[in-house]
Amino acid sequence: MQSEPLDPGLRKPWNFVLLYKYLVLGFVTLLIIAPLITTALGGFKSAADLRTNPFGLPTVWHWNQYTDILLGIDYWRYMGNSMLISAISVFVTLLCSTLAAFTFAHVKFFGKEFIVGYLMVGLLFPVATAILPLFVKVRDMGLLNTYWGVILPTSAFSLGMSILLMRNMFEKLPRELLSAALVDGCGYIRFFWHITLPLSRPILATVGIIAFVASWNQYVLPLILLNSEERYPWPLGIMEYQGEFTTDWHLILAFVTLTVIPAIVVFLATQKYIVAGLTAGAVKG
Amino acid sequence: MATVEITNIEKYYGGYHALNDINVDIADGEFVVLVGPSGCGKSTLLQMIAGLETITGGELRIGGDVVNYLPPKQRDIAMVFQNYALYPHMTVGQNMGFSLRIRRDPADEIKAKVERAAKILNLDQLLDRFPRELSGGQRQRVAMGRAIVREPQVFLFDEPLSNLDAKLRLSMRTEIKELHQRLKTTTIYVTHDQDEAMTMADRIVVMNTGVVSQIGAPLDLYDRPANTFVAGFIGSPAMNFMDGTIQGGKFQAANGSSWALPSDAKVTEGQRCTFGVRPEFVEAGGDVAAKVIVTEPTGSETQIVADMGGEHFTCLFNERIAAQPGDTLKIGADPEKCHVFDIETGLRL
Amino acid sequence: MTDTPTPNSISPPRQGFSLRPANALNREGWVTAALFLPPALLLFTLFVVLPMGEAAYFSLFKWNGFGTPEDYRGLYNYERLISRDIFKTALWNNMLVILVSVFIQLPIACGLAIILADKIPGGNIFRLLFFLPYVLAEIVAGLIWRFVYDGDTGFIAKFTEWFDLPAFYILAEQDYAMYAILAVIVWKYFGFHMMLFIAGLQAIDRDLYRAARVDGASAWQVLRFVTLPLLKSTMKLSIFFAVLGSLQLFDIIMPMTLGGPSDSTQTMVTYLYNHGFIRAKLGFGSAIGTVLFIICVVFAVVYQKGFFRDAE
Repeated sequence: MQSEPLDPGLRKPWNFVLLYKYLVLGFVTLLIIAPLITTALGGFKSAADLRTNPFGLPTVWHWNQYTDILLGIDYWRYMGNSMLISAISVFVTLLCSTLAAFTFAHVKFFGKEFIVGYLMVGLLFPVATAILPLFVKVRDMGLLNTYWGVILPTSAFSLGMSILLMRNMFEKLPRELLSAALVDGCGYIRFFWHITLPLSRPILATVGIIAFVASWNQYVLPLILLNSEERYPWPLGIMEYQGEFTTDWHLILAFVTLTVIPAIVVFLATQKYIVAGLTAGAVKG
Repeated sequence: MATVEITNIEKYYGGYHALNDINVDIADGEFVVLVGPSGCGKSTLLQMIAGLETITGGELRIGGDVVNYLPPKQRDIAMVFQNYALYPHMTVGQNMGFSLRIRRDPADEIKAKVERAAKILNLDQLLDRFPRELSGGQRQRVAMGRAIVREPQVFLFDEPLSNLDAKLRLSMRTEIKELHQRLKTTTIYVTHDQDEAMTMADRIVVMNTGVVSQIGAPLDLYDRPANTFVAGFIGSPAMNFMDGTIQGGKFQAANGSSWALPSDAKVTEGQRCTFGVRPEFVEAGGDVAAKVIVTEPTGSETQIVADMGGEHFTCLFNERIAAQPGDTLKIGADPEKCHVFDIETGLRL
Repeated sequence: MTDTPTPNSISPPRQGFSLRPANALNREGWVTAALFLPPALLLFTLFVVLPMGEAAYFSLFKWNGFGTPEDYRGLYNYERLISRDIFKTALWNNMLVILVSVFIQLPIACGLAIILADKIPGGNIFRLLFFLPYVLAEIVAGLIWRFVYDGDTGFIAKFTEWFDLPAFYILAEQDYAMYAILAVIVWKYFGFHMMLFIAGLQAIDRDLYRAARVDGASAWQVLRFVTLPLLKSTMKLSIFFAVLGSLQLFDIIMPMTLGGPSDSTQTMVTYLYNHGFIRAKLGFGSAIGTVLFIICVVFAVVYQKGFFRDAE
């Protein structure tokens, strides 16, 4: 445990502990990025090049493998479907969970703890336990192979975590703020609108981004609830694509790279929220 | 402006009896302070007056109307909170005008009222700032500004000065008192600090464990405390108490000392009772012996904690006394400034 | 209202849900709850709770999903399930994931967190890099690693080539495929657990370290007697997430092996999908789902009751 040295004068000219640390970190870094870089470079290589030279730079840069995908319609359709499903899911999740979390945090009414417990049960159970009845239900509702058929269950399963995170945040607002607003003439609903919502933008962003990432990456729900390629989000699309080109790894790698890049860009832009949300939710949960 | 009548008020939390038969009548324009140790129920009572806590039993009238079941917004009150409760996302001006905005007053009227209140409180330069940019004292004034903008019938203060440092607390005390003299709005003020209560109140309500111990003007409470609790709570340093019996027209304490009785004490020979002497009324040169333990000179006064038959006894002298630990002092007190209480009930005799 | 209860009388009238106009605040609370809760409750009940209940119901029938379930078979589906070797393999694979998470991934995550919790140059970059695999979709991680494991073109192909060994297709090897998948799971998730530990470490009061050093503890002793004991609740949390993650493991398996070869890499969920959904045996599949559900309940109860108790 290298806390700051008690006396700066004790620092040795060559800090071997630090050196070992960097060796470990460097080794792990290599394990993380080697597959990723190989993947990205692989997308530029020809099949033969990839076979003989998986790690090095491409002997010839085949830009067309990327541009073909980018100029084709499939990639954009998959991305568009994912965007649509994720955006609406996040909206529905945020709407339902802010209202519920606010009620749980601030409003006193009989039976509250029971209802909170009921919703929190959802935290524990993986979507997968219920996919078959879910399929039957969505089919019977006539929503099979529709966007809403995916959106509604997606939102429903992300409610538990969202409500938990937001309730914790709302409860941290000083109780006096509610008192002051009541004295100032607000009811609960106006307090929600004028005070809680404006003060909760960071947590809304956090919960929204986490729900978005989960929805963007999800595979199992669309897999059972959608059956036409027209509506496939990208994880289904990529599986479709690799089914088509089974061993043409250079093409698959190019496609994989193109789906990973937006995820990494978004992650770097929002990492503060993602890390904070996941760990905060975890520490509380 | 209005009267506030609190009649037979009760509060239960589940089976816990938090407030027991509270009766206080507050006159129009009066400045009443609710004071007591923490957990005595004073804040609960204030919250009930504000409409933030339900009333279990009894009747609460503001301006003659029963308001037991009205929500806070219909009671025409304004409140200043311990932690100020300023809305962090609104500027000072928006904070002060918020209740008027909720009431849907016209924008220019809100602006005029906010500016007028800001002028009274010297906040006119700060209207566009956010609460986080203000000092503690400024936040405190914004909280008051938010209250006075509404021109309510009653002001409620919930320990408003307890988060300020000692110096600021003194000046805000004066400021609140000035404000009251200027606006003459009925004010109910909660604090645990008896000093604050003494200096600010027209009348003080002393509360203890959910009941009213005594109601009265500050000096009345000081001069004629109704029971040992009030006697010990009001006044600093606290009153010295001794248990003993009445013997030969004098109080004979268990610690060995003997004291003359005040002329109005209704006691009988042989009665067991508690005798109280305020440290500031102890005089040097009597016939009670006390062995000095600690001397604490402050310059203007000398406080001495002494040992009297195994009990601590505090004396406060206005002159400088050159006593060393271990010295024996001869002290006494003017019997008319001493107090006698029933040993069982603690009530004044 | 004029007669007041005697002081400290027994059970006073409890307010809150009586119908007389008790007080406006409570009434408004009801109105707010009645307006604000239904969207969440409706969505949740319809798409989470009902399906779970229906899974238990469907599991009692032999049913291909069309019409309504009519062919009642009692516990037949469960008997069939328990007698299957694939079911045991799937359960064991889920267990393996948990074991690897606890005994390999957790120490790695904890160790890296201890290195990175203190400010060292470049620390933030390492944190982000290590967290990166967690952000990738499972599908993508699976695809990338299928390439890495590919005996013709991937990393393994290169190694066998260097050492002049015959081409080795690890994902096609019944005995090794699951271990290959376990490596991917550690690769993908250790960063998340590391972030948990970093958060846990940062919650520790630095004065405790200073106090321990002043008390004469060496760096190792500080780690052993101060840091690790204080990370106990984080470890429990990490195990909680590992178990939950294992029970829903699906997305990574699909692009890599689809549960094969010869069902050697099935997990509970891939088994449910491959043998329940694909083959349209909804009764049988629902039985798997129900067993999974029961495992979750048991785990939740054990975690809450037994596991957490000494943490308080």
